[in-house]
Amino acid sequence: MTPRVSTLGDASIGEQAGLVSELLAHCGSDGALVAVQSTKDGIPTVWIKRQHLYDVLRYVKSELPRPFPMLFDLSATDERLRRNHDGLPIGTFTVFYHLFSFDRNQSLRIKVALDGESLSLPSSIDLWPNADWYEREIFDMFGIRFEGHPFLRRLLMPSWWEGYPLRKDHPSRATEVGLFQLPPDKLVMTQDALQFKPEEWGLPRTYHDRDSDFDYMFINLGPAHTGTHGVLRLVAQLAGEEIVNIVPDIGFHHRSQEKIAERQTWHTFIPYTDRVDYLQGVLNEMPYCLAVERLAGITVPPRAQVIRVMMSEFYRIASHLVWYGTFAGDVGALSPVFYMFNDRERILSIVEAVCGGRMHPNWLRIGGVARDLPIGWDQLVRQFIDWFPERLDDYERLVMDNPILKQRTVGIGVLSLEDAIAWGATGPMLRACGLPWDLRKVRPYSGYEQFDFEVPTASNGDCYDRAVVHMLELRQSLRIIRQCLDSMPSGPYTSLDPLATPPLKQHTMQDIETLINHFVGVSWGPVLPPGEAEVSTESSKGQTSYYLTSDGSQFSYRTRIRTPSFAHIQMVPLMARGELLSDLLAVLGSVDYVLSDVDR
Amino acid sequence: MTEWRNGRLEGVRVTEGGDGPLTAVVGQSVLFAKLQDLLAWGRKNSLWPLNFGLSCCFVEMATSFTSVYDVARFGAEVARGSPRQADVLVVSGTVFLKVAPVIKQLYEQMLEPRWVISMGSCSNSGGMFDAYSVVQGVDKFIPVDVYMPGCPPPPHAFMECLMLLQSMVGSERRPLSVHFGPQDVQRPIMPSMRDAKRAERMGQREYPSIDVLPRTDLLSPHFAGQPGGRSKGQS
Repeated sequence: MTPRVSTLGDASIGEQAGLVSELLAHCGSDGALVAVQSTKDGIPTVWIKRQHLYDVLRYVKSELPRPFPMLFDLSATDERLRRNHDGLPIGTFTVFYHLFSFDRNQSLRIKVALDGESLSLPSSIDLWPNADWYEREIFDMFGIRFEGHPFLRRLLMPSWWEGYPLRKDHPSRATEVGLFQLPPDKLVMTQDALQFKPEEWGLPRTYHDRDSDFDYMFINLGPAHTGTHGVLRLVAQLAGEEIVNIVPDIGFHHRSQEKIAERQTWHTFIPYTDRVDYLQGVLNEMPYCLAVERLAGITVPPRAQVIRVMMSEFYRIASHLVWYGTFAGDVGALSPVFYMFNDRERILSIVEAVCGGRMHPNWLRIGGVARDLPIGWDQLVRQFIDWFPERLDDYERLVMDNPILKQRTVGIGVLSLEDAIAWGATGPMLRACGLPWDLRKVRPYSGYEQFDFEVPTASNGDCYDRAVVHMLELRQSLRIIRQCLDSMPSGPYTSLDPLATPPLKQHTMQDIETLINHFVGVSWGPVLPPGEAEVSTESSKGQTSYYLTSDGSQFSYRTRIRTPSFAHIQMVPLMARGELLSDLLAVLGSVDYVLSDVDR
Repeated sequence: MTEWRNGRLEGVRVTEGGDGPLTAVVGQSVLFAKLQDLLAWGRKNSLWPLNFGLSCCFVEMATSFTSVYDVARFGAEVARGSPRQADVLVVSGTVFLKVAPVIKQLYEQMLEPRWVISMGSCSNSGGMFDAYSVVQGVDKFIPVDVYMPGCPPPPHAFMECLMLLQSMVGSERRPLSVHFGPQDVQRPIMPSMRDAKRAERMGQREYPSIDVLPRTDLLSPHFAGQPGGRSKGQS
C-alpha cells in the first residue's frame, strides 16, 4: 500500500475545460451561459439563464457529441440566507441539474437562478422521464413550479400539508410547531386524503372497445403490506390479473434528513447518515465524510482508508444478505431468509467488535475512523471469510438453482439498458442490464483502485439477472475484504489535519494551540471554508451522493442526498406494466430498496 | 395438588412412572385452575405480533424471528399480516406524520385484547428525529404498554420487552362474564425498569475492554472451532 495524496480520483482539468468550452461554443453567443463556477469537487458547473435552460438541457442531452444521457440528480437550494456569493449570479432560489455521461465518465452540473415572484421553470420530463419525481420533490420542498409537468403535486409530504419544508423560513423541529394531535376530525381528514382517486392520475375506471367492455380494478398495496418491505404504497390498475399501470405513493418514511443536516454540525450529522439507508451503515457515511473532507481539504491516512473499505464491504455483504433472503421470501421461498440472517449476524458480531454498534455504527469520522481496530480483529475477519464462500455455494443451490424461483423471475420485470439509463438506474440495477459500471472501478475513491476485484454484470435486465449480480457481488466483496486483511497498512487511523474531527486527545495537553483546537472542534464543531463539494460512491443499492454546500460556518448550508432507491422505486411502474399482479412482488423484491433511502 | 395461580403452576411434584400413590398420579395429569387464569396463561404465551414495520427497528425485530434469537421460544413468532388476527402492535420505527393515521387505523382494527410495544427511541419520543415530518412519540395518539429504549434496540432487547409484556398479560384480570365487583380489565401496576435496575447499573464498576472480542462460537459451535470453516461432510 502506498499513501495517496487525495481521497478521490482527481478529475483531469483538461476534460473539464474542454466541456465548458464546448458549451461556450454553443450557447456563449446568445448569453445563455452566465457564469462558470469552480467547485471543490471538480465537476464542471455552469450557470444558465432561465429562459435558455430548456434549450441547453436539450443540447447536452441529445445534440452534444458524447452527450449526457442520465439525469443523475435534480434539486434546489434556498439562497436567501446565503452570505458568500462568490461573484455568482445567485437569486433567491437555485435549481441544479446533475447530469452524467458514461462515454465521458464525467458529470456536469447546470444551475439556474430563480429570482423574484415567478418561481417556475420549464419541465424537463420529456428529456429525462425520471425528472418526474425530482420535480415533484422540488415543488413539495421549495414550492417551485415546473411548467408542463402533468402531475405537479406533493410527493413526500401529505397532500394537506401547508408550507415548503426546505425553505429557510420553515421550522425544522417538530417541537417548534406544537404538540401533534390526532382528534377524530383530523383523523378522518388525513385518512380521506389517502383515498386513491384514479381520475386524479389520469387513469380511466373503465375500458371500452369494439369487442370488450370492462371495469379496471384498483388494488391498494401498502403502506402496511408484508410484500412492500416497509411503508411503501402502490396502487395497481388491473385488467383482470394484468397490471396496466401503477401509481407509487411515497413519503411515509420522510425523516427530513436534508433539513436536519442544516442544523447539525458537520461532525454531528454523521449518525444521521447511518439512518439514510439503515441496512448499509458505513456505506452511507462514506460519501458524506468524503465530501466533507473534500471541502476541508483533508487527506485521509492509508490505514483509515483501508479500514473504511473493509467495513464498507462488510456492510455491503450484510445489506445484500438481507436483500437475498427477503427476495427469496417474496417469491415464496421461506427458508433462505433464516440462513442469510444467520450469516448477517456473524457480520454484525464483527461490526460490533470493531465499531461498537450493530446497524448504525457511527464509525467514520471527518479525517478517518473513530478508533483503531481492536486487538484480534484479524482472527474474526479471517474466520468469516473462510466460512462464507461455502455458504454462498449453498445459497446458490438453495436459491438461484431453484426451479420455482427461476420460473417466478426469469423474463419478469425486464428493463432495457436504454430505459435504465434514461430513468437514472445505478448499481446492480444498471449492471444487470449489461453495463459494467461500478464507481469503485471507474471513479475510484478511498483507495479502491489498489484492490483487485471484478464488476459482475448480467445481460437480460430481468429479476433473475438482478439477483445474479447481487450474488456475484457478494463474492467480490469477500475478495476485497481478504485483500484488506492481508495488507492492512500500519499508521494512524485518523488525520492530524486541524479540521479533522474529533481531534486526537493525546495532542491536547501539549500546547495551547492544540488545546484550543480540541476544545473548539469538540464543543463548537469544525468550521469549513465556503464552497461546494459532491461525492458519489457505490453503495449497496446504487450510487449514493452527498452534495454539500458550505457557507463558511459550522453547519451545512444545504445538504442534498441523492439516493439510489428513490430512482429505482420510480421505475417500478415501468418494469411491472404488462406483468401479472403476483409478479409485482418479484419485481419489488428484485429492486433492492429501503424506504428510508427512498424518502430520506 | 397442582394449582394454577398467577399464570403459573404451583405445587408441582414430579414423580417417576405411574405406579405411585393415586394422589401423585392425579397430581401429574389433572390440573385445577380458574378459567380466567388459564386464559391469561394462554394469551401470555401466544402473543402474535402484527407484521408491520416502519424503519430500522423492524429489521432488528425481524432478526429476532430468525434462528439465532428465535422468538418462537416465547410463542410470538406468528407474525400476522392482518390486524384482526394480531394481539400486539410493535411500533418499530419512526412515526411519520403521513403514516400516523395508518397506524391509528391498524390499531383500531385490532381486536381486544390488544397491546402496544413502542420499539426504539423514535417511537418512544421522536428520538434523534425532532423534525417537522416526525410525530414525537407514538403515545401521542395510541396507548403504549411497553417502551423499549435503543436506536435500534438489539433483538435481545426486543425479547426482554416481550417477556415484560408477557408478565403483564399473564397477570391481567379480564372478567369472563358479568359478576359482582369491577367490570373492567384489571391491569397490574408494572414497576419501572429504570428503578428496578438502577442499583445494579450504578453498582457496576468494571467494564469489559474494547479489545474483548465477541464469542462467535455462540452463533454455532463449528464456526469458531474450525478455522478452515465447515467441512463438506457436515452439511
